[in-house]
Order: sequence, then C-alpha cells, then structure tokens
Amino acid sequence: MQSNWQPYFHKLTTVCKIPVTNHFYIATFDTQKKNTDLMNILEVHNLKKYFATQKAVDDISLQIPRGSIFGLLGPNGAGKTTLIRMITGIFYPDAGEIMLKGKKFDPENDAKYIGYMPEERGLYKKMKIGEQALYLAQLKGLSYSDATHKIKDWFRRFEMESWWNKKVEDLSKGMGQKLQFVITVLHEPDLIILDEPFSGLDPVNSNLIKDEIYRLAKNGATIIFSTHRMEQVEEICDRIVLVNKGKKILDGSVGAVKQDFKENLFGIQLEKIPENLSSSAFEAIKTNKQELIVKIHDGYKPNDVLEHFIRQGINIMSFKEMLPSLNEIFIRLVEGTPTARQFEKIEA
Amino acid sequence: MNKILLIIKREYLTRVRKRTFIIGTILFPVLYLALIFGTGYIAEKSREDLTVGIIDKSGFFTDELIAKTNGTDSLNKLSLIKIPEALFKTSYDSLGYNGYVVIPQTASWKQGLDSLLFVTNKTYGAGATIPVENKLNRLWDEIKNDSLGIDSSKKQILASSNISLKVYNSKNRDADAGAATVIGYVCGFLMYLILLLYGSQVMMGVTEEKTNRIAEVVVSSVKPFQLMLGKIIGIGMVALTQFLIWIACIFLIYNIGKVSGQSTGAMAEAVGGVQRVFTSVHILTVVGCFIFYMLGGFFFYSSLYAAIGSAINEDMREAQSLSFPITMLVIFSIALMTPAISNPSSPLAVWTSIIPFSSPIVMMARVPFGVPNTVPWWQLGLSMALLIAGFMFTTWFAARIYRTGILMYGKKPSWKEMMKWAFRK
Repeated sequence: MQSNWQPYFHKLTTVCKIPVTNHFYIATFDTQKKNTDLMNILEVHNLKKYFATQKAVDDISLQIPRGSIFGLLGPNGAGKTTLIRMITGIFYPDAGEIMLKGKKFDPENDAKYIGYMPEERGLYKKMKIGEQALYLAQLKGLSYSDATHKIKDWFRRFEMESWWNKKVEDLSKGMGQKLQFVITVLHEPDLIILDEPFSGLDPVNSNLIKDEIYRLAKNGATIIFSTHRMEQVEEICDRIVLVNKGKKILDGSVGAVKQDFKENLFGIQLEKIPENLSSSAFEAIKTNKQELIVKIHDGYKPNDVLEHFIRQGINIMSFKEMLPSLNEIFIRLVEGTPTARQFEKIEA
Repeated sequence: MNKILLIIKREYLTRVRKRTFIIGTILFPVLYLALIFGTGYIAEKSREDLTVGIIDKSGFFTDELIAKTNGTDSLNKLSLIKIPEALFKTSYDSLGYNGYVVIPQTASWKQGLDSLLFVTNKTYGAGATIPVENKLNRLWDEIKNDSLGIDSSKKQILASSNISLKVYNSKNRDADAGAATVIGYVCGFLMYLILLLYGSQVMMGVTEEKTNRIAEVVVSSVKPFQLMLGKIIGIGMVALTQFLIWIACIFLIYNIGKVSGQSTGAMAEAVGGVQRVFTSVHILTVVGCFIFYMLGGFFFYSSLYAAIGSAINEDMREAQSLSFPITMLVIFSIALMTPAISNPSSPLAVWTSIIPFSSPIVMMARVPFGVPNTVPWWQLGLSMALLIAGFMFTTWFAARIYRTGILMYGKKPSWKEMMKWAFRK
C-alpha cells in the first residue's frame, strides 16, 4: 500500500498549498490545464445550498476527471448527500454552477447521463422486479426494447434471471442491493454516483459489485463513491474529496494525499532492539515486538537511520515508510487534532 | 412529457390490474345499493311493536271501538284494562304489556287529550311512541265522530280534503323534481365517496413512495412535479375507468331489460319507470357534468392530499391528523348538499355550487334539476371555470410542499413549516 501513490505522482503538480495547520497542507490536484472540459466529466464551481438551520454546502468547488473512481468522503451531516442531490438535479443550488460533460448541467435532459444509488435504497415493494427495472430505465430515457435488452443482459450476468416475476418484498436485503445497483447502472450512465454501495452485502456480492465498478470505470464511466469506509476508499478510489461542515477540506489523489500527510514515520524490523535509541537523526515513537517506529527529523534521510543501526552492528530485517491511512487522515482532519498521540491511538 | 406518460401508465396499470380494483368495481354498486335499501329494510324491520294498556276512567273507550282500531292496524295492540288499577300498575310488565296510558275522568270528547303519560319501564324514542300516538288519535276521532253523529259516509267526505302540490315547470315540461332529487342525492354521495376514496389513494401512494425511498431514485430522473402530477392523473384515470364501467353496466342492464321486458308486465313497468326518470332528467348532461366535476374535484382535492402524503412519515396517525382539515372540506360539502337539494335555487345552493371546494358535490346535486332552468348557464360556466382555476392553484401549491416533503424525513412537520416550504423560492 505504501507505494500506492507512485503511479499518480507524475500527475501531481501542486498548484497551491493551503495551510490547514502548521504542519499540514491541502494538496490541490491539477489536471492538465488545457482541455479541462474534456478531461473532467463534472465540474462544480462555488456551489452553495443553505437550509434554514445550516449551511449544508458552503462554497464547494471540485473537478472530477473522466474515468476516475472518485471518493466523496465526510462525516455524517457534512453535506455529502446535499452535494450529491444537487449533482443529480434533485436540489437546485442556491448559488454556483454545475458543468456536466463541459456543458451547464440541465437536470431534465441530463438525467440519462447520471446513475444514482442513494444510501437509503428504494424500490416499489409490490411491483414485479422486471417491470420495475423496465419502468425506471424508461424514466432515464431508454426505449422499451433497449431497456428490455439491457435488463436481460444484466440479469444474466448477475444470475438474476429467475427474479423477473418476483416482487421486491420477496428479496433478501442483499438481493435488493444487487437489484438496486443494476437499476442504477442499467442505462449506461457516464457518471455513476454510489452512496455506500457495499452496506449490507456479503463478501461474495461485495466483490461482484466491486468488479463491476472496475469494469464500468475501465469502459469509461466515472464513479463517485460516497462512503465512511476508508479501507474501501483506499482500495477502490483514485481520488478523494473530503467534506466537513459543508466545506471542502481535502482534495487530491489518494497517493498524493497520503504523501502530504506523512509524518516521516518509518517502520524498522531489527534482529534485536537496542537499549540505546538516542540519535540526532530520528526519534523512536514506539516499539512493537521487533518493529521499531521512528520519526525522522527534518534535514535527515532514511539512510541516516539505517546507518545508525548498521554502525551498531544490528541486522535490519526490513525498512518501510509508514504512510498514514485515509482513516487516520480523515479523523485527524475532522477532529481537528493533528497530533501524533491521536495517530497512535488509532494505530492501536 | 414522455416521462409523465410513463408515470401515468405505471400508476394506472398497477392499480387497474389489482384484484382489489376488479372486486371494488363490482362490489361497490352492490354495497351502495345495499346501503340504501338495507337501511330502509332495517328501519322497517326494527320498528317497535308495543302492547299498550288503557286504563279508562272517562268511559269513552269501549271494547268494540278498540277491537275495530286494532283490526285496521295490527301494530301496537291496545287493550282496555278491566282488572283493578293498582294491581295492573304493579304487574303490567309480567302481564305482557310494555306500558299503559291513563285516560283521566275529566276528559271531554270535545277537547283533545293533551299530554297523556305513557308509563313504561323502558325509555322509548319518538319512533316508537308516534305510531301509538297516531293510533290513539284515530281512536279519539272515532269517539268524536260517534258523539257528533257522523256516520261512515260523512266521515269519508271529511277525510278526502287532501291537497298535494306537484311542481310543474312550464319551461321544462319533462322536469320531475322527485327523480331529480333522487339522482341529485346519488350523484352527490357518489362524488363524495370518489373524492375521499381516491384522494386518500393519492395520499397513500405518495407516502408509500416516500417511505420506500423510491422517491429519491425517481426524482433523480424526473422532476418532483412530474412525479406528483403523473400519480394524480394516473389515479384519476382509474377513477374515471371505474365510473365509465358503472355507466356502461347501467346502460347495458337498462337495454337488456328493455328488450326482455316487453314480454313481462312487471319488467316493462320497471323499465318504463327508469325511462321516465331518464327522459325527465337530462341524463347526458348529468353524466357529462359528473365526469367534469369528478375529475376537477379529484384534481383539486388529490393534489392537497398528495402534499399531505409527502409531509408524513410511516406513522398513519400523522396522516389522519394532517389530512383532517382537507377531509373536513369534503364532509362540509356533503353537509351543504342536503339544503341544496331541497331548494336548488337558493342563494346558499347557488354560491356553494360555484365556490371550488364545495362545487363538485353541491353542483352535482343541483344539475339533475335541469340545465339551464334550475342551473343557468352562467352559473355552470362560472363554477367550472373556478374549479379549473382552483385545481390549478392547489396543484401549484401542493407541488411546492411536495418537492420538499418527499425528501424530508424525521419528525412530523407543523403546518407552519409546510407553509414555509410552499412559499420559499
């Protein structure tokens, strides 16, 4: 996982570094300046939505490159759902602009380009599954024959053919999820928005959906993936945006974000851990059986640490950089307490 | 536009194909007739039949007279008490009497017997005592006749002075107020039931979409207004289908009866009766107006019901308390219908048949009395125009509540909050 960022690194040209605290910066991702319209399937500029009691979305801008798997993260009540509802045309923004495929977003005509699976799944309980899929696909603008053809295709792939005449109330929760996913992507949208797509799914079906997400992305669809489950984000997403209290507080590729939040921590496995760990190059943070976690001081390099132990004649079994997990970054930013202690607590 | 058609189609087909629709279409007229005739039958059956003892101190009552009265009217048997008064008063119950009346010694045949006490051990309503009263009055009349020396032939002459008025409208010779009253009642009540039943169907349909969370999926494809309008129109079509099936059935039965009825006398008479009603009341005008007011009234009320449906959550008690004011409007209209039928040209009837909320029911009660004689064209036209304006307003208003309510979960909104949803930009 620690070298995850490397494939993305060439893309990253830091445009600006916004200081968040004394130690941390928000990395802003810059896609190549030219042809941004073609590069980005969705651009959101200074979007605002205020409700009576709160600023649900307060001046958020973001760009989502075509073909990416994009993580939209944030704690409960951060404004994710409101943001998604504006992108899907359910809410009108109070201010700001949404550009879809390089043109101003028109909810009525652009619905066919978007597939949205809300967190709270919803289907007609008493309607036959085949008819229901057909109805919802036609609402997205597919013709009857086209929709029938596509539904049969998807049902075959997901081994759901026997479901056609069943009702939703006859399905288990996991089966319902699968159906909801199929309905979301049926009309082959360019932009697929999935809110917690894996909740309630067993590992087999989780993998099935995950593989479909990869396949759809490979075929050119862009996926916005909203979740609290950071390990899924690390696994699946190319890029993330973190939203808190209606504002964007982090935006970048997963690798770049981790690089930006790294604390020069390294894990060293030693044959035996020496008594004396004092060095000007680093500070030992924690020992864990044979592994020693050190923080390298500014101005020193990993080799200085290695040298320290080699000189003492201690065999080094392994040496690796410890990048923070997205989970740690998430909690650090949301709680606003960027201390090592906080970090340790999560590590344990 | 195409999307609205899809929604209408779904709403219509899922309802029409349901078994409850087919059963309801057949069962409703049966139950409706059963309700009308059943209540009459039960009222007939449940009439009290009292056995009344008469303790006569005046000496006017004779066994012969009482036997004669009991012979002409076998209900509420009267009998003259011969056993000692005190004994009877303590034991009348065990002797099989429901009660007794004491005729005072001071009674004079020239005067009436005012305020006699009917002593019983149960409390009887007017429905039970009035027949007894009538019977006693008839008896007393006999006594008066005998005392005045009026024989039975003179008596007949005296009794035959009954004047009854029948309305004859010189402009509309076929008008039959009796038939119009019956049809007015039937139309008004049918409208009332359709508005309430289908209105609550709209409300429940909206709530179902909200609580199933399908609403969020659908409104990412269509506008909330389209979803609401599609549902209302779809369910309105279901109501129209049901009504047209009934009309077709009546037409069919009537024609079958007309063909087969020529042979049998009773059938011919029944068909003739229906024919008279149909010719006296302009049936096409009534059916045409009914369809207009059914759809207009339905759109007026069901959009309000849709707004309520979008505001409530899973709790059905919320539905009841929030829909109460709207249901009250419908009930108020039906309360206005009765005076409108008994006097279809009164200012109350005219104005309540023009104001949109009550016009579907009250106007339908007036229309059978004749257009343009009882209901002038200007009234019908104004009423229709206002109803169209009214439902356009309620639909617009409801849509503004609906678009917010349908995605709002949590506690029940107050009226104030709902008004805020309606009037913010």
